[in-house]
Amino acid sequence: MSDLPLAAIRVVELTTGAAGPTVGRVLCEFGAEVIRCETRLRGDGHRGEDPKLWNKKPDFMKLQRGKKSFTVNMQTAKGRDLVKRLVQKSDVLIENFGLGILEKWGLDYPQLQEINPACILIRVKGMGCTGPHATDLSYGPNVINNMGATYLWNYPDATTPTAEARTQHPDFMGGVAGAFGVVAALLQRTVTGRGDMIDNAQLEIGASLLGPKYMEYSVNRRDPKPQGNRSLIAAPYGAYPCQGKDRWCAISVYTQAEWESFTGVVQKKSPAKPAAKFATHLGRVRHREELDQWVGQWTVQQDPYDIMESLQSAGVCAAVVQEVEDQFKRDRQYAATGFLVEMTEPEAGNITTENLPIRLSETPGEVRGLAPLMGQHTYEIARDLLGLADDEIKQLEAEQVLY
Amino acid sequence: MESSPRSGPLSRYRVLDLAGPPGLHCTKLLADMGADVIKVEAPAGEQSRRIPPFKDDIPHPETSLYHLHFNTNKRSITLDLESADGRAIFLQLAGKADVVIETYSPELSDRLGLNYAQLSAVNPKIVVASITPFGRSGPWRNYQADDLAGIALGNLLYIGGEQGKPPIQPAGELAYGMAGTYAAVAIAVALFHRVTSGRGQQIDASMHECAAHIAGYAIPHYSASGAKPARPKRNGQEADLYDPFAVKDGYVRFFIVAREQWRRLVDWMGRPPSISGPEFEKTTYRRQNPAIVQSAIAEFCRGFTKEEMYEEGQKRRISVTPINTAGEFVECSQTKARELFVEMNHPVVGKYMQFAGVPRLTECPGSMHRSAPLLGEHNQEIYCGELGLSHDDLVALRAAGVI
Repeated sequence: MSDLPLAAIRVVELTTGAAGPTVGRVLCEFGAEVIRCETRLRGDGHRGEDPKLWNKKPDFMKLQRGKKSFTVNMQTAKGRDLVKRLVQKSDVLIENFGLGILEKWGLDYPQLQEINPACILIRVKGMGCTGPHATDLSYGPNVINNMGATYLWNYPDATTPTAEARTQHPDFMGGVAGAFGVVAALLQRTVTGRGDMIDNAQLEIGASLLGPKYMEYSVNRRDPKPQGNRSLIAAPYGAYPCQGKDRWCAISVYTQAEWESFTGVVQKKSPAKPAAKFATHLGRVRHREELDQWVGQWTVQQDPYDIMESLQSAGVCAAVVQEVEDQFKRDRQYAATGFLVEMTEPEAGNITTENLPIRLSETPGEVRGLAPLMGQHTYEIARDLLGLADDEIKQLEAEQVLY
Repeated sequence: MESSPRSGPLSRYRVLDLAGPPGLHCTKLLADMGADVIKVEAPAGEQSRRIPPFKDDIPHPETSLYHLHFNTNKRSITLDLESADGRAIFLQLAGKADVVIETYSPELSDRLGLNYAQLSAVNPKIVVASITPFGRSGPWRNYQADDLAGIALGNLLYIGGEQGKPPIQPAGELAYGMAGTYAAVAIAVALFHRVTSGRGQQIDASMHECAAHIAGYAIPHYSASGAKPARPKRNGQEADLYDPFAVKDGYVRFFIVAREQWRRLVDWMGRPPSISGPEFEKTTYRRQNPAIVQSAIAEFCRGFTKEEMYEEGQKRRISVTPINTAGEFVECSQTKARELFVEMNHPVVGKYMQFAGVPRLTECPGSMHRSAPLLGEHNQEIYCGELGLSHDDLVALRAAGVI
C-alpha cells in the first residue's frame, strides 16, 4: 500500500448518495485512507432503509470498496466531537449533505479552519453552495434537467419531452472532477501548508461538457434543438441495426479514405454498390437518411462484433452497442486488461465492479478491497486513531454515540 | 487575449497539449485550475477548430464555438511533429515542461518519438498522459473510437432513446468528458507523487474503460442478479416518478426516493384519496400501480408553470426540477447568481459569454483569464522569448512548413 501515491492522505467522508462517495472512492483507489462516517440510525441512500440489506447492495459496493466504516451519531454532541477529533487528524473532509447540515455540526469552512487549517474541505452539491437554489433538494437525475441535457437527449423529430437514458452521470462525473479538485488543492498545500474549500456543483461539472450548446444560444441567439445521432462531420454516423434482437453497431466515417475502406469491407460481403450520390462527403451528409438505409441493409445481415472487427481492421471506427452482458462476456478488451474486478463480499457474495480506467506506470491505483460492513472499523478507529480505551468505547456504544 | 494573470492550484505547472477532441476537456480542466497549457497544433490547426457550431454558422478556423469553449485559458503554437525540425523543437519544449498530454494512437506516438520512454530520457520529471480509445495495451489498442463508439461499448448508448427506435447519444461528449476528467485526476496525482519522489511517470487512460464509469451501477447489478438495463419505456412505469410531467409551459421531473418526500408531495397535492394510502409510500408499490400514481400527479402538475412547480416544490423539500433548454439554463437565476458565464473578448468572435471553470476553490481559485488562442498566436512569445530562437529562425521554420 505504501507505494500508492496518496498513501499518506487521510480522508473523512460525511456523505450519502453517489457524488460525495465517488470523490472518496477515487482518492481511495490512489491510496488514501478513507473513513466513511455513517450511522445505524438510518442506512444511507445506497445501504438502504432495511438493516438486513445494509451490507448487500451491489451499488454500495461500487461506491465504497476499500473504505472504512465508522459508525457515529451526529445528532449527539459527543458524536460531533469525535468527528471533529477525527478531522483534526485528517487531510480531507468530503461532505454532500443538504446545505446547512455541516454548519449545524460545526464543521463548515470557518469552523474547520480553527480545528485544522491544513484540511481541505470539499462540498459536493447538486447546485453548488451559493445562489438562490443552493438549498435545492437535488440529485444527479434532477440536475440533468436543469442543465438542458434531458431536453437535448432526444431524436431530431422528437415526439416526447426526452429520450434520455435513465442516468445520473453528473454524480459520477462530479465525483471524479471533485477528486481532481482535491488533489489539485493538495498540490497547492505542499507549497502553502494551508487547506482550501472546494465548492463542487454537480450541475456545473455536468454542464461543462455542453459549453458549445450554451454558446450556440448566447453567440448565435438560437436555442439548440435535440440532434439525436445527426452529424455534419461524419457520415455514415450513428447506431445501425444488426443481426439479432435489438442489436446495433455504432459506425463513424469521417474521411474519404475511411469511406473507401468502409465500402471495400461492405462489398466483400455483399454485392450492394453504393449510389453515386454517396461518392463525396457532401453527398453523404446531404443524403444521410438514404445513406443510413443503405448501410442498414448491409449491417442488419451481420453480427455486430463481426462488423466491428472487420471495419476496425480496415481502419474504420466501429463499435458494438454493448449491453451490460456483452461487457462481461464479449468485450475482449475488458477481459484482457482486467477491468472488471470480482470480489467476494462477506454478505453480498460475488460482486463485480469497474477498476480504475487509467494506469499509472510508477504508482498504479487499484480497487483496494471489500466494501465495509456497517460499523466494521468503528472500534479500530476509536481505539487507534482517537485513542479511546476499551471501556470508553463500550460506554459510547451503549449511549448510541458510536452508533 | 490575456485579460488577467493565471491563478489556481496548478499555476506552477506547464502542460504541453498535443490533444485532439478526446483530450481537450482534460487540458481545459488543467488550464482552468491555473496550469500554463500550451496547445501544440499542426500548422493546419487542431481538429476542434473544424467542429461546429460556428459563430453565425460561417466556418472559419477561429470561430468554432466548440474550439472557443474547450481551449480557453490556453496558449497556441504551431509545430509539425512529423518533421525532424518539429521533433527537435518539441524535445526542447519538453525539457521545460511538467506534463505532456497526447491523444495519438500508440503506434503514432511511438513513431513520432512522443512516448514516455522517449520523453523521460529528455526530462525524467515529466508526466506523460496518453488518452486513447482503448489504452496502450490489449487486443483493441490500435482500434479507433470516437465519443459515440466509447459510449456504445460502455453501455450508455444502448439505454438512450426509445424502444423500437435506434439508440441515440446524449448531447455533450460524455466519454471524452469522463476520460478527460479521470486523466486530470491522474495527472494531479502523478504531480503530487513527484513532489516527494522527484520522478515523473506515464499515465495510460482508456476512454473505453472511462465510459463504463458513466453508465451507473449496471456492472455490479448484473454481477449480482443478471439485471440488464434497457431503453426506458416512458409509459408511466418508470420508478421514482422519473417520467416527465407536463406543466403549462413545458415539463418537470421529480426524483422521489425517500418516504418523507413522497409524504410531502401528497400533502402538497391535498392528499387525493387515490394515492394517499400508506401502501403508496413504498416505491415498489408505486411501480406496480403506475396508472393511478401517474394520472394523479399529471393532473396536479397541469396547474403550474415550470418556474412555479420548481420554486414551490423545492420550498416544500421535494426534489423536482424543470426540464430546461440550453438557453433556459443560461438565463436561470442560479446560473446568473453564481456568474457561471463570464464575458470575454475574442479578436475574431468579439464579446461573448464563456462558461467558467469548475470545481471552485476558495483560497486559490482558478480564473477565466484568456479566451481561446488564435492559431499560432504565441509562436514568437514561446519560440523566441522562451526557447531563444531568432526571428530568422522563425522565418526559416515557417518557410519549411514546420510552424
